[in-house]
Amino acid sequence: MTSLDRLAMYTEMVRIRQYETRILQEYHGDKTPAWDIGAGLIPGEMHLSAGQEPAAVGVCAHLKKGDAITAPHRPHHFALAHGVDMNAMTAEIYGRTTGLCKGKGGHMHLFDPENHFSCSGIIAQGYPVACGQALAMKRKGTDNVTVAVAGEGAANQGAFHESLNLAAVWNLPVIFVIEDNDWAISVPREASTANTSNADRAAGYGIPGVRVEDNDVEAVFEAAGAAVDRARSGEGPSLIEVHTLRLLGHFEGDAQAYRPDLETVDERDPIPRYAASLMEAGELTEAQADDIKAAADAEVDAAIQFAVDSPIPTPEDALQHVFA
Amino acid sequence: MEASVTVGVVANPASARDIRRIVAKGGAVTTHDKLNRLQCVLAGLGAMGVERVISMSDRSGIAAGLQRLSTRASSESWPMIDFVDQTITGTKTDTTVATETMVKAGVGAIVVLGGDGTNRVVAGSSQDVPLVCLSTGTNNAFPRFTDPTVAGMAAGLVASNLDCRTAGTYRAKMLTVEHAGRVENAVVDVAVTSGDRVGSGAVWEMDSVLELFLCFAEPGAIGLSAVGAAVQPTTRRLPTGLNIRLGGTGDESDPSKPGSGERSPEQSSHEERVKAPIGPGLVADVTIKSVERLEPDAPVEVRSPAGVIAVDGERFFRFDSGDRPVVTLSGAGPVVTDVPAVIHFAATNGLFNSPSTAAHVANPAHDAEPKSETKPETRKR
Repeated sequence: MTSLDRLAMYTEMVRIRQYETRILQEYHGDKTPAWDIGAGLIPGEMHLSAGQEPAAVGVCAHLKKGDAITAPHRPHHFALAHGVDMNAMTAEIYGRTTGLCKGKGGHMHLFDPENHFSCSGIIAQGYPVACGQALAMKRKGTDNVTVAVAGEGAANQGAFHESLNLAAVWNLPVIFVIEDNDWAISVPREASTANTSNADRAAGYGIPGVRVEDNDVEAVFEAAGAAVDRARSGEGPSLIEVHTLRLLGHFEGDAQAYRPDLETVDERDPIPRYAASLMEAGELTEAQADDIKAAADAEVDAAIQFAVDSPIPTPEDALQHVFA
Repeated sequence: MEASVTVGVVANPASARDIRRIVAKGGAVTTHDKLNRLQCVLAGLGAMGVERVISMSDRSGIAAGLQRLSTRASSESWPMIDFVDQTITGTKTDTTVATETMVKAGVGAIVVLGGDGTNRVVAGSSQDVPLVCLSTGTNNAFPRFTDPTVAGMAAGLVASNLDCRTAGTYRAKMLTVEHAGRVENAVVDVAVTSGDRVGSGAVWEMDSVLELFLCFAEPGAIGLSAVGAAVQPTTRRLPTGLNIRLGGTGDESDPSKPGSGERSPEQSSHEERVKAPIGPGLVADVTIKSVERLEPDAPVEVRSPAGVIAVDGERFFRFDSGDRPVVTLSGAGPVVTDVPAVIHFAATNGLFNSPSTAAHVANPAHDAEPKSETKPETRKR
């Protein structure tokens, strides 16, 4: 890991954070005075990934052209880190015809064939799909890999276990990533899960399972690098569980009354902590940090403007591109 | 009124989970394995008359599992279990807070389930309370492989009987590394690596290791101390340790610099290459530049001008300018229980004779007293 790697990871985390912060503002901007989830420029539910940037950035730093990601209902950080076009993604979130799915999917259904990126609101749905993609990569003889992302609550779904089993028995180039943000919507893990460690569950299928604590992007980077190398060289699948942090609600509008850790959430924010560590090491200055943030803001502004300026689908469009 | 005998339990839910599952062949010690071993420990403690256990709290299934299991009929012989009322952070702070609380509560022993890293954190706060260490980590040089039921019995004996404690515990060695106001302790090793960041913590690339400071280097152990065991085995009960310079790329020391010349006269400087099991499934060819005896209470400056300090196999902090870190071996480590020695002492002194609970067996120091009136020794401070 070089100084450039670290600066690039910091820059990407800030880019994602500025994006999520703006989407948060835009989303809430026109849903009041009476809260109406269907109102405004961004209709429907919104699951933001602020606080979980280290998981996406540390993993995606190792991916190359042809590698795939299947993400869950909270997908923006992985989409941006994997190179999904910010304009097309934002237009999709705004339901515009220039969006990735021509405005039919919304923020939980971002499909980008060029970058092999997909996501879904169905919990753990991306795990079996990742196995299929990895099988294709293996049969084609490439050294590409697939990253399957889900939350810790998703690991109680049958699809999680079926996928680990299949990937193990077929020795597929998959990296299973579990983002453990402590809350499956409002349910803590120990209330719903007999085996609380997904590293243990990986061991149950004979594949390596690693847990990365402290939401540390460099620790994720190292673990993911080892897992990606392992998959590319034909050694098979691995599971990485990242103990991360949900800075915001499960969805926007979630009052989080169930959450006793709210008071300390801001002080656990991984981005200021990483900035401080880079500054201490002499690898980032205040001026550079300001420039990085300003550049991210400019890109985000342009993407939102692109979305707002894009056409809204017509009623006739509803019948287009529906069936394959 | 007799003081109740209380024992602390720290089971690290995060042990045996790090990157060495991928970069080495580190095995899994699952939460259920840990719970199973805890049940054995509790049975051993209960059989020795321990009435109360204080357990660390966590959100990873250990505390919840113990609560669930303790409601079952099969737990009838266990001590009562209380959980430390602590804010759970999911970090090593949880272990520190739990250990401090146990010490304050006057536990007679602390049973630790973890590897070298877990024991290092517990040792930071355990003061004079004897530790009973069970291996559930990746590298387990500090904790020995011990049956958990027997370990529970030994913990109960040490907590309740002063003579058992005297016969079966000792104070371990410890390494202290100091730099720029920062102080870290190690129970097995301090390594100087050539990397520039902490990253995922674990050390597994021997090419990056420039220098090692070892509390002990026992044959049979795995991890960085195995390098020492391959060239100069050093037991954990010996007062001295080892300082080994490896064939890395670090700068050599400046002999004129204060501190760098304070090496033991008993040293070998011929270069040799040895094989050492530095991690699960990892046998490395290591170039040894020199091996020196590390004397207690004699600060030694690290030789490299820059690098990352790793403590008990875990990278901790970078140094790159100014003063070099200083490492000191001392005999001021945690009090540790030698389980077989405790069991041997108990057996040869009739402590397992029926009635078998420690609360009612005679303390050999008070053999003249009626057995039924013998009070349990809770601890010695």
